[in-house]
Amino acid sequence: MPRSIRATAPLMAWRTIDILTITFLGAAFGIAYWGWGLAYQAPSTALTTIFPPLAGITGAPWLIAGVVGGLIVRRPGAALLCEVVAALVSMIPGTQWGFTTLISGILQGLGAELAFAILGYGAYGLAAAMFAGAMSAPLEAVYEWFVYWTDWGWSYKIAYLVILTAAGAVIAGGLGWVITRALAAAGALGAFPPGQEAREARAV
Amino acid sequence: MRSAPSRPVRRPGRLALSDTRATGRVEVAGLTWRPYGRKVPVLRDLDLTIEAGERVLLVGPSGSGKSTLLRALAGLLETADAGELSGTVTLDGVAPGDRPGSVGLVLQEPGAGVVAATVARDVAFGPENVGMPRAEMPGRVASALAAVRLAPDRGAVADSQVLPASGVDEVAGLGGAAGAWPTSALSGGQTQRLALAGALALEPSLLLLDEPTAMLDAENAQSVRAAVDEVVTARGLTLVVVEHLLGPWVDLVDRLVVLDEDGAVVADGPVRETLASEGERLLATGVWVPGAPAPTPIEVDPALVTRASTRHTESALAATELTVARTTRTVDGVATTRVAARTSEPLVVGAGQLHALVGPSGSGKSTILHALAGFLTPTTGRVETRTGQVVADLDPAGLAAHVAWVPQWSSSTIVARTVLDEVLVTAQALGRLDAGSETRARALLDVLGLGPLASADPRQLSGGEQRRLAVAAALFHGPELVLADEPTVGQDRHTWAAVVGLLAAYRSGGGAIVTATHDAHVITLAGDRVHRLTAPPAAPGPRGGEPLLAGRGPLALLLGSALAVPAGVLSPGWRPSLVLLGIQLVLAVSGLVSARSGVIAPLRALLTRLVPGLLAAVSVAWSTWLLGGRDLALAGNGLTRVLLIVLPSAVLLPFIDTDRLGDQLAQTLHLPDRPVVAVSAAMHRMQSFGQIWEEIARARRIRGVAATWRRPATIVGHVLALTVGLLLRALRSAAELAVAMDARGFARAQRRTWFHPARWTWGDTALVALSALPALVAVAFVMVVR
Repeated sequence: MPRSIRATAPLMAWRTIDILTITFLGAAFGIAYWGWGLAYQAPSTALTTIFPPLAGITGAPWLIAGVVGGLIVRRPGAALLCEVVAALVSMIPGTQWGFTTLISGILQGLGAELAFAILGYGAYGLAAAMFAGAMSAPLEAVYEWFVYWTDWGWSYKIAYLVILTAAGAVIAGGLGWVITRALAAAGALGAFPPGQEAREARAV
Repeated sequence: MRSAPSRPVRRPGRLALSDTRATGRVEVAGLTWRPYGRKVPVLRDLDLTIEAGERVLLVGPSGSGKSTLLRALAGLLETADAGELSGTVTLDGVAPGDRPGSVGLVLQEPGAGVVAATVARDVAFGPENVGMPRAEMPGRVASALAAVRLAPDRGAVADSQVLPASGVDEVAGLGGAAGAWPTSALSGGQTQRLALAGALALEPSLLLLDEPTAMLDAENAQSVRAAVDEVVTARGLTLVVVEHLLGPWVDLVDRLVVLDEDGAVVADGPVRETLASEGERLLATGVWVPGAPAPTPIEVDPALVTRASTRHTESALAATELTVARTTRTVDGVATTRVAARTSEPLVVGAGQLHALVGPSGSGKSTILHALAGFLTPTTGRVETRTGQVVADLDPAGLAAHVAWVPQWSSSTIVARTVLDEVLVTAQALGRLDAGSETRARALLDVLGLGPLASADPRQLSGGEQRRLAVAAALFHGPELVLADEPTVGQDRHTWAAVVGLLAAYRSGGGAIVTATHDAHVITLAGDRVHRLTAPPAAPGPRGGEPLLAGRGPLALLLGSALAVPAGVLSPGWRPSLVLLGIQLVLAVSGLVSARSGVIAPLRALLTRLVPGLLAAVSVAWSTWLLGGRDLALAGNGLTRVLLIVLPSAVLLPFIDTDRLGDQLAQTLHLPDRPVVAVSAAMHRMQSFGQIWEEIARARRIRGVAATWRRPATIVGHVLALTVGLLLRALRSAAELAVAMDARGFARAQRRTWFHPARWTWGDTALVALSALPALVAVAFVMVVR
């Protein structure tokens, strides 16, 4: 497997385009999140009728911004900031979760950030993306236990955590990786490491 | 400011003209730039010296690296791209970025560099970045705005929904008006003059303009050129302009520099002499040389783009007089309806006809095209097809067969992965592909100069190439009518001749065209089928007292919504929760109701915002009921808890003003300046991102590739395509804004100052205290239960 290209050193030296790209991606995902918030109700209700913790599947798309932000900019804080901005933007026009959207955004972003930090901000392949997607889930799931699923038994709570984590790996991680590749292939990431990877792949 | 400026910063209000030594001498030596992923450099070993105060017009065929050279002169080559750079660029002996703001840059797309919601704050962005004391800013802002003659029309400010922020009143000479003048209310020409003012606020010695009038109508373009001429003369600036329409600039400049396809200087000298000696060569490369006759549209075989059903020769589309009204609602539910566009006569488009919609920017040309395409339903009037069907009622296949669309933003209609597929995709969706289709598509691409790119990714093309591709993709499947929004913008003489020739061939094959355009040659081709639109008058905004919540600080609003979480979590059951909900409702009503809105409108608006929350509450109650032994009380607990958490957010959060949120995050919470600025800039574009989403969805519908519920896989593909399309546009605007911001000193803005103070008011304290009430009562309930 080819090694991932790191962000330019020093890692903490955010360029203007890094910051703006993260916040703009966050805002775009925020719009998409808001739309998903309107559309997810039907599939979610269908799944929860079968088995309530399956709500974790329809919850996973909300984890994607952190993964994509981290995969593109590859600097410490990128995943967290991207997910928080997405939460903030989806919250302002009005969502079903109100202010807790922002709390969720922080917890989900922290999870993804932690994953990239564990990998030393040096691995950004599909496996790393799925790891970050999975890691976005646990903090969020535990938080939801206390705010939304207070009346569930432990078996359901654990099942929810496992399902959200698995769905996070596949949906947020896998799809996030696909989206990042698509953006790089479209030539839109010229100033970032994934754009460089795409060009090198083509050069071979 | 920490980083010592390489030269003493001039006192505010003093003009460069009064400096004893002239500044703004540019020296480029051996400059070579190859972006990663390109085989050959865009600029190769380029030498160029521009004396202080010189005015240079930089021309060359598209792809010759003109814009790249401008970015190099601004020291911004590596801001939005990565590559190999060698050679030197200096401004008065030092690197251009050494003194932030020494180089002013205005980009092609109006609005690409707008960073704030109000005019005054936008101009102050550069001074903020260099840490100018707040007291000096209003004077600097006022002088920059006066230099470009930018002042609000009567009414523009009064009608705005932007709250007058404190501290702006001092903006001298404008009576504080610029402080409350929303940047979103500016015309294209005004926005370009705003960008100019933003550059002037840092007193540059070199001004760079990258096709500043390419996207403007004649009147707005003239206002921008006049402003440029005036400030460059008054301040003795060095000027470099990139333009491909040379005519109007010839009198404003004294030197002409010509680049060739390889990014090398091939001619350089006084403007008139060089034009005379190089005219032939310039014409040959497609440059719009002043005085040359309009290019002759090329002959295109009509068989390439003949409409599919040639049996009918009567009208392709018939519209009565149309009015499109837009209703906007303030947060407290007060509705304002204004006419966005109207036509003053019926529009009956016959086979083979070309109709032109003309009028200044903002007159609603694009809106009328949208109504003709059935994207929106006109408030009054009807748009029908030949067979009497209402266009808006057609299904995607029916619509695509009948009407095609060339949008203003051609990148958003791209649906395929190769240029060739992009041309074929609608025909494929309609089942109109045959053995000869691919050959025909390739021939069509050859006509437009896109033949060699047939297997390239269309999203990688330049803007001009994408626009031509959009024309080809619209015509190929043979629709009866093409709606083209500015199809010739940004084309050189050669590609213009190809596009216009192709449209002519389509007409001779029976196709009908309605185009919104500023292009004088195209308008001539339309003959007497020209429909002039006038800008509808702006509607006055709501008057009268505002609700108590208007003007509250963003942090207080956020904190107020946050305090609902403990109330919901702590509440011991549905009975106490109902009491708490009652308290919240009383608070909500007293915060929302005002003289201007009455009682009903804000409550109806609130209920609309609460619909998702209600659904979520019901779904939580449902799942709790299912597994809680079907206990109604348990379900009631879940339902009321979610409502308690959500209600205050639905009341408070929409009142957040994103600019003021930035002020408070940076000045009150002391979060790092640069991320805070970026967050406000992104939130500022929220609305336009929503519009982009809609535009891409429309484009897919009219291309016949929209999803249907019958095949769920198409839904997933559709959502993914919309998301990637939106992200691509977001990335592009981030890159453009990064260049614009760094040109105004943002790259080094570690310690900024802020134009507006962030004050915490008594009203904010009261809001937080009242929002804490339900949480406190919840605590009391918990103690009573124990």
